[in-house]
Amino acid sequence: MASHLFCGRVNLNILREAARKDLREFLDKCSGSKAIVWDEYLTGPFGLIAQYSLLKEHEVEKMFTLKGGRIPSAAVKNIVFFVRPRLELMDIIAENVASEDKLHPRDFHILFVPRRSLLCEQRLKEKGVLNSFTNIDEYILDLIPYDGDLLSMESESSFRECYLESDQTSLYHAAKGLMTLQALYGTIPQIFGKGECARHVANMMLRMKREFAGSHTQILPVFDTLLLLDRNVDLLTPLATQLTYEGLIDEIFSITNGYVKLPPEKFAQKKQGEGGKDLPTEPKKLQLNSAEELYAEIRDKNFNAVGAALSKKAKVISAAFEERHNAKTVGEIKQFVSQLPHMQAARSSLANHTSIAELIKDITTSEDFFDSLTVEQEFMTGVDTDKVSTYIEDCVAQKDPLIKILRLVCMQSVCNNGLKQKVLDFYKREILQTYGYKHILTLKNLEKVGLLKPQSTMRNNYPTIRKTLKLWMEDTNEQNPNDISYVYSGYAPLSVRLTQVLARPGWRSIEEVLKMLPGPHFEERQQVPTGLHKKRNKPVILVKSA
Amino acid sequence: MAGILYLMAFVLQKESQKADEYLREIKEQSLLSEAVRQCVEAAGHEHEPETQKTLLRRHFTYRRNDNTHWFTPSLSQLLSLNFPPEQFVSMCRDLRVLNAVRDYTVGIPLTHTQFKQMTVQVLIDRLVYRKLYPLAIEVCRYLKTPEYQGVSRVLKHWACYKVQQKEESDEVIAKAVSVKLADAAGISYSEIATKAYESGRTELAIKLLEFEPRSGEQVPLLLKMKKSPLALSKAIESGDTDLVYTVVMYLKNELNRGDFFMMLRNQPVALSLYKQFCKHQEQDTLKDLFNQDDDHEELGNFYVKASYKDQRLEARVALLQSAVDEYYKAKNDFSAKTTEDEMRLLRFQRKLEEEKGEQLVGFSLHDTMTTLLSVGLHKHAEQLYKDFRVPDKRFWWLKLKALAEKEDWEELEKFGKTKKSPIGYLPFVEVCIKHHNKYEAKKYVSKVTPEQKVKAHLAVGDMEGAAEAAIERRNESEISTVLSRCSATTDHLLMERLNRAKATAVKK
Repeated sequence: MASHLFCGRVNLNILREAARKDLREFLDKCSGSKAIVWDEYLTGPFGLIAQYSLLKEHEVEKMFTLKGGRIPSAAVKNIVFFVRPRLELMDIIAENVASEDKLHPRDFHILFVPRRSLLCEQRLKEKGVLNSFTNIDEYILDLIPYDGDLLSMESESSFRECYLESDQTSLYHAAKGLMTLQALYGTIPQIFGKGECARHVANMMLRMKREFAGSHTQILPVFDTLLLLDRNVDLLTPLATQLTYEGLIDEIFSITNGYVKLPPEKFAQKKQGEGGKDLPTEPKKLQLNSAEELYAEIRDKNFNAVGAALSKKAKVISAAFEERHNAKTVGEIKQFVSQLPHMQAARSSLANHTSIAELIKDITTSEDFFDSLTVEQEFMTGVDTDKVSTYIEDCVAQKDPLIKILRLVCMQSVCNNGLKQKVLDFYKREILQTYGYKHILTLKNLEKVGLLKPQSTMRNNYPTIRKTLKLWMEDTNEQNPNDISYVYSGYAPLSVRLTQVLARPGWRSIEEVLKMLPGPHFEERQQVPTGLHKKRNKPVILVKSA
Repeated sequence: MAGILYLMAFVLQKESQKADEYLREIKEQSLLSEAVRQCVEAAGHEHEPETQKTLLRRHFTYRRNDNTHWFTPSLSQLLSLNFPPEQFVSMCRDLRVLNAVRDYTVGIPLTHTQFKQMTVQVLIDRLVYRKLYPLAIEVCRYLKTPEYQGVSRVLKHWACYKVQQKEESDEVIAKAVSVKLADAAGISYSEIATKAYESGRTELAIKLLEFEPRSGEQVPLLLKMKKSPLALSKAIESGDTDLVYTVVMYLKNELNRGDFFMMLRNQPVALSLYKQFCKHQEQDTLKDLFNQDDDHEELGNFYVKASYKDQRLEARVALLQSAVDEYYKAKNDFSAKTTEDEMRLLRFQRKLEEEKGEQLVGFSLHDTMTTLLSVGLHKHAEQLYKDFRVPDKRFWWLKLKALAEKEDWEELEKFGKTKKSPIGYLPFVEVCIKHHNKYEAKKYVSKVTPEQKVKAHLAVGDMEGAAEAAIERRNESEISTVLSRCSATTDHLLMERLNRAKATAVKK
């Protein structure tokens, strides 16, 4: 069921199981039949922890989406709200509770995710409904096991909160999540970090460690090193168009909580004689993780290498099916049959990914995609980053999607360490006139978080950073890569380079560059209970971007 | 049986050989283990340490007789007799504790049964009540009580007692407490501080709170002691934003508005959180905050946002005017100018809406012009283009697309001839093709620059023309492009020509 969590170096299923256990315990606390009222935002992240079947086993009979007015009728004993601690949601809950049918009262419970909030409880009290709740509890869901080698907070707005709104709540959750992780996987002996937010998270972790002093875990440390990186240390990478298979799926169709929605036409079941009738209209929803053998194999390949991998796989599969002609004895036939389900799954997986790859190829082979990628690569290599780009100008003139324009302009700004005031104002005017004046606030927000900025008197230090960290590699091998730059066909993500240098030879060798990047860099050591020092050759590094 | 064993041990002590006889007797009845158990238990009920020792000393007696080759069960043999050594060990421990508390200086004459009944926890409590802290700690350490329930708990009680000693100064007490409690795990300094506060020693309480590692624990007491600035900074230190909000909301109710704002001003983290709160809950307060800080830029943004919430045009324009004023004060000329442009555009749109009945208000400049062109109001579009100094390139693109969309080919042709196109003529070709009008597209092919000729010919599907252009330019990659588009069956001759040209181009 969660086989994708076993494949990495660390068994992340322990974390998932711990989360599931907490969920079961809470559900059992509200004894009897129940309906869950969901803060819609939470359903995706919860899907990574538990499916509906688990809830059903614990007498969850109905599920609703949190909205104003009265909760739909359901013959259940309990109504359980699963919500984030947000004031606006408290108002809705209060409305729900107040309009409950007085003749058939049901028990109310709240489960705050990921943390209880005094502020919210205060709001419920003001609304006069706090006493209506039998249980008010918290469900700590900070770091969610996403794949065999990936934990995610699935908190898409944390960059906005941290840098635009100066609200560091998500950093507190991150620190808490890392403490939970250490409780399950042992104290992480070394912490490295770069950036203000990273420093803040590390400080909170060390403080929490002191708070829990005396209850330290006696677990052999699984992780050797924790690396905390601020997003704003590496603003370039998320601006660049991803070029791996998974990256392109995300760019084009966007992956949310491990699922992608695809246009249905390509996935219609072809039945003979029916022609092209009854095309499904609902988008096809696919789960994408390493549990799927083929996907695990191709997800991180440069898209240019995916075609070859798919056709190779196709040959292997059809060869496997051909085996049946060679099966002569009863034993051989039996063995073949026993492998059939696996082979059929592989075949359908291959069909899906071939269809997806075709959809992607339609886009990547277009002139538009090529032109845009060329400009990106010019910026990343430092070509003409100080002038207005005619390509961007033309795109604006044709009113291409705003997000494309903003990505390119921001990228140019990042690669030039800010744009000349004249250039910046030109872009801004173009954007406002074309996409509407309301985007004046969008642009101001981009400036606040540093994605867009006017050039200061300081020298453009991007070229130095690029050279020192080898952010651009000329001879990237997309088919059989030996360097991470293959993921962007030339550009090696800055955060990955920082991680590589940290692993060998250490950050001391790049002090100069570290100083050019925003925020402090630091190193902390946490004491591991004696006797728990591990002897292992390969270090496991946990990288966390804030 | 135990009686006999006791007797035996007693006799052995006296180095008498009679012991062996006794032992054999017990052994024969296979009751040794029961006898040992009874001995251990009996020791527990004995108050006199000497007698306890005698009862417990059997092991040693066996040892001493090892070399006599008598029947001498060793400890391991005793184990094989199913006699659990734990019982012996724990009885020794219990007795030691009991003897200690039975001492006349302590004076708790407990029997072993009583002790077992009341548990170690309670015994420690009693010692604590008698203020026998050192002994209580010794007992905890000796019995290896987990630190949380043992040593730390005693130390906490000690500290709570200590802080009530009036004769000592705050510094001395705080120092003493911190030194003693330094290594103890899980100490709740806030509890100790509460005690100090309750006995009227606020300063000491604050000093003690400094040692509390859990900021969350410090906050409620600090609020109770009316140390709100400290409470706020502690809440911030904890990183728990919910806690910060709690203090902020408390302060909001406690203080008058001026003081409240002043306090926030000194705490940027709290201030930005409060601003977030206001953004969702109290828009007007947000404005007051910006005003207080003379943050004209944010005030400008505030008015801009507000302008989108108002439906009436007059109100919108008025709000934008306020934004303009603020932006000028903030010396942000760019924002001020673009906002003025927007006001101008809104007025223009309103006027045209009234005159022509086209819905325009709220459209971007680009969309306004496109709409005007699509309904044939070319003059008005031109006026906007001039008034708002729209770059030529963009206007040409816009007009080209708008006319093609409308399929007004005649007007497009006229437009193409007004002056030399700033975007070239390839876009004309491509846009026409996009609207499936090859006939119109072809009109522009000849006007395309030499560099784009091949592309233009290919766009309209003119293979001959494309080949001609590519060969003329002797450009290898262009020749290849054309080649890749040729079909082997229909363009056989063309391909031969191209290949020849390619060969010479490469040679060059």
